[in-house]
Amino acid sequence: MDEEDFSASSSKQYYPYYPHPQPHPSATGTTTTTPTSIHHAFETSEFSTFSPARDLTFDFSGKWATDILLETATAIADRNSGRFQQLMWILNELSSPYGDTDQKLGSYFLQALFNRMTDSGERCYRTLASVSEKTCSFETTRKMVLKFQEVSPWTTFGHVACNGAIMEAFEGESKLHIIDISSTYCTQWPTLLESLATRTDETPHLKLTTIVATKNGGVPGSSTSGTAAGSLASVQDIMKEIGNRMGKFARLMGVPFKFNVIHHGGDLCELDLSKLDIKEDEALAINCVGTLHSIRAVDNRRDMMISNFKKLQPRIITVVEEEADLDVGVDGMEFVKGFQECLRWFRVYFEALDESFARTSNERLMLERAAGRAIVELVACAPSESVERREPANRWSRRFHGS
Amino acid sequence: MMKGGFEVVHATLDMIQPHREPIWDFASVGFPTTSVAAAAVSSIPRQNLENRCINLERNELSDWVEQVTKKLIDDLPAQNTDTDDHHSRTLQAPADIPMLCEDSFPPSLLGDFRPRKTVTSSDFDELQWSNVNGGNDRGLSRLDEQGLSLITLLLECAVAISIDNLGEAHRMLLELTQMASPYALSCAERVVAYFAKAMSSRVINSWLGICSPLINYKTVHCAFQAFNNVSPFIKFAHFTSNQAILEAFHRRDRVHIIDLDIMQGLQWPALFHILATRMEGPPHVTMTGMGSSMELLTETGKQLSNFAKRLGMSFEFHPIAKKFGEIDITMVRLRRGETLAIHWLQHSLYDATGPDWTTMRLMEQLGPRIITLVEQDLSHGGSFLDRFVGSLHYYSTMFDSLGAYLAADDPNRHHIEHCLLYREINNILAIGGPARSGEDKMKQWRSELAARNSFVQVPMSSNSMAQAQLILNMFPPAHGYRLVQGDGTLRLGWKDTSLFTASAWTSHISR
Repeated sequence: MDEEDFSASSSKQYYPYYPHPQPHPSATGTTTTTPTSIHHAFETSEFSTFSPARDLTFDFSGKWATDILLETATAIADRNSGRFQQLMWILNELSSPYGDTDQKLGSYFLQALFNRMTDSGERCYRTLASVSEKTCSFETTRKMVLKFQEVSPWTTFGHVACNGAIMEAFEGESKLHIIDISSTYCTQWPTLLESLATRTDETPHLKLTTIVATKNGGVPGSSTSGTAAGSLASVQDIMKEIGNRMGKFARLMGVPFKFNVIHHGGDLCELDLSKLDIKEDEALAINCVGTLHSIRAVDNRRDMMISNFKKLQPRIITVVEEEADLDVGVDGMEFVKGFQECLRWFRVYFEALDESFARTSNERLMLERAAGRAIVELVACAPSESVERREPANRWSRRFHGS
Repeated sequence: MMKGGFEVVHATLDMIQPHREPIWDFASVGFPTTSVAAAAVSSIPRQNLENRCINLERNELSDWVEQVTKKLIDDLPAQNTDTDDHHSRTLQAPADIPMLCEDSFPPSLLGDFRPRKTVTSSDFDELQWSNVNGGNDRGLSRLDEQGLSLITLLLECAVAISIDNLGEAHRMLLELTQMASPYALSCAERVVAYFAKAMSSRVINSWLGICSPLINYKTVHCAFQAFNNVSPFIKFAHFTSNQAILEAFHRRDRVHIIDLDIMQGLQWPALFHILATRMEGPPHVTMTGMGSSMELLTETGKQLSNFAKRLGMSFEFHPIAKKFGEIDITMVRLRRGETLAIHWLQHSLYDATGPDWTTMRLMEQLGPRIITLVEQDLSHGGSFLDRFVGSLHYYSTMFDSLGAYLAADDPNRHHIEHCLLYREINNILAIGGPARSGEDKMKQWRSELAARNSFVQVPMSSNSMAQAQLILNMFPPAHGYRLVQGDGTLRLGWKDTSLFTASAWTSHISR
């Protein structure tokens, strides 16, 4: 490590928390390489006895994670490996996925940055996703989704708004068809079925076509529902069970009901909409909750999808998306900007979860882990393949007005 | 074995009575009679049967861990013979872990347990999925399958780390951290969650090449206090040590106590009270408090001074914001004629004393009349795998003891597990060992003290034993904590496993 990195003046500039100048590293012979592989950047025998903690007064209060993480991203953009190393050490020491919001942010972003620097993002994401899918059953997923809806309006807000708009658009119609492309396991529809059942005129017939898009044969993760990338088989099982329950509920409500599931492998925009069995005499609604952002943000795909929707001439298209601009750039200042927005967004999310759930909730942990996977994907994987790139409302709006 | 040179006069010594209230509430100082102690018991959190974790009888989990690890270790070629043979029969992970290891693992690591046969991967499947297994000696029927497979993966991970296969370790840790939850009903799963996280931390530090810690002392001290409220170990340490110190101070009127890691000084008011009210009158007390921050030390000193003043006891406080092993004797304001007690409650939260050998040397130089030492029954020395196995056993037991009385969703329990126990686990498994400095720590301090000519053990008296018993009476007694007296020490543990040992020593050159 270069001694110059730790002179008093530079330390005050980079480390606003440290009132004392950095100590000089006491060991010699440590190499300053940009850590690129998971095997030692430093040989064990060459361990520096440098103690970055000596004379350190770290301010633990406040939102330290945001500051440290932002500095780390800047260090990466500046290719300052010494500073990067020290900041990652701080993050490693302080963070934990089981602590407060800053500790959690620190932990998940540390993992993602580590993956980025060791080119192991894809591998890590796949491992995390496959493990999560193995440990997820219909029961655990259902429990998590329902608990989330019980303690927080995060997903139900969108549902209620969409259902209201759909009911209005379907006023007076007797044959209804909803194309549902959502991440919330059909939890939106029982209330709609109830509304249909209590309409003053004759109860209309509802056909619900649910589309489940799978990436590489598996479902892309969604942070809002905490679902993991799952194998086709497990998703099919889950949807079959959901279909049964929906059917039962509809019968209970006295609503003539048909339920179809379409499993689509690959990018959503490649979905062949003609296969959706849309009849001439049906009133059509297209409902997308938390899934449009899974369309790759390249090659006009998103615009294409919207234009395809429009070709179906639906009465209404309802869209729920998280208000964030998560197009993390590749490198340099673009990367830092994108990273900053990621940080902002996931802080909001984690804080919301913290407030809604009990301190020791396993359901919240599942949601946090899903968010962690999304963070790995955003920070350490190729942008062109990403299914997590949320756009803010004004951009979606422009797309819808445009095509 | 009684060592000569130190007498305990039982009849005239008062016994220090422990009490539950926070010490700084002056009004509550006053020692509870047995009726008050009984009332205190009823306010202890009751067992919530629905939420109680899987309660292992006879520490099955720890026993099983020992079994499996022993087999794993036996498979590693300790000698260079039969290497190829071992290779073909050893556990094959999906990506081959090269099973060459640099260190040789002492066969005495886990006692004389002899494995029935060498472990193959099919054995692991058997261990993973069998529930009630006739061939399994220790009756693991109550361990759930999930818990077993988690622990198996955890062990494989530890082995990978011990042979420096960090890539493989990292991959397994990714899995583990997605599978184990620290909020689980099962204590085993909680332990796995924290051990996995500690190992992940280690992998990252290894990659970064830095081994020092960054400690949030406030959080640590806060969690320490919370722990003190629900678990008897710290009070056990305090009150047995206070008793030994009291006995050493018999008929001495100028005394000096050095607390090597005073924190908030919760221990001392009880001793002060007894000293202030003893028959021969209060001594003049000097206290040297050592710790990490001058700010905290000053605050502690202020509180103790106020307390002593109210007792009418002459008191001086000297703070030293340094580690005992890093100062020299001139920094200790020990006066002629002062009787010296050195007190050390060991823990793994941070390196409180610095290098062991200089700590020892300074103790020898100071020649205290009494050293009260409370150790965790956990070795801080040795290779990573040694520390891993030892601490897995230790903390499984500790988690069990918490889980027996606190609900699974108790936020206080989570606070203690995360901010205290996990901190320790993290340090013990870390690169650079528990001291986080690369210094190899002594395996067991009382053995070292015994081995030196300068010190002689002072057996813990029956009064100390009585103190310890009183402490235990404050916590729900039901088949949990176990107090053992032997070898002149007092040991407090949970079921079969001893967790803390209190001992006392005197220096040959003491006044």
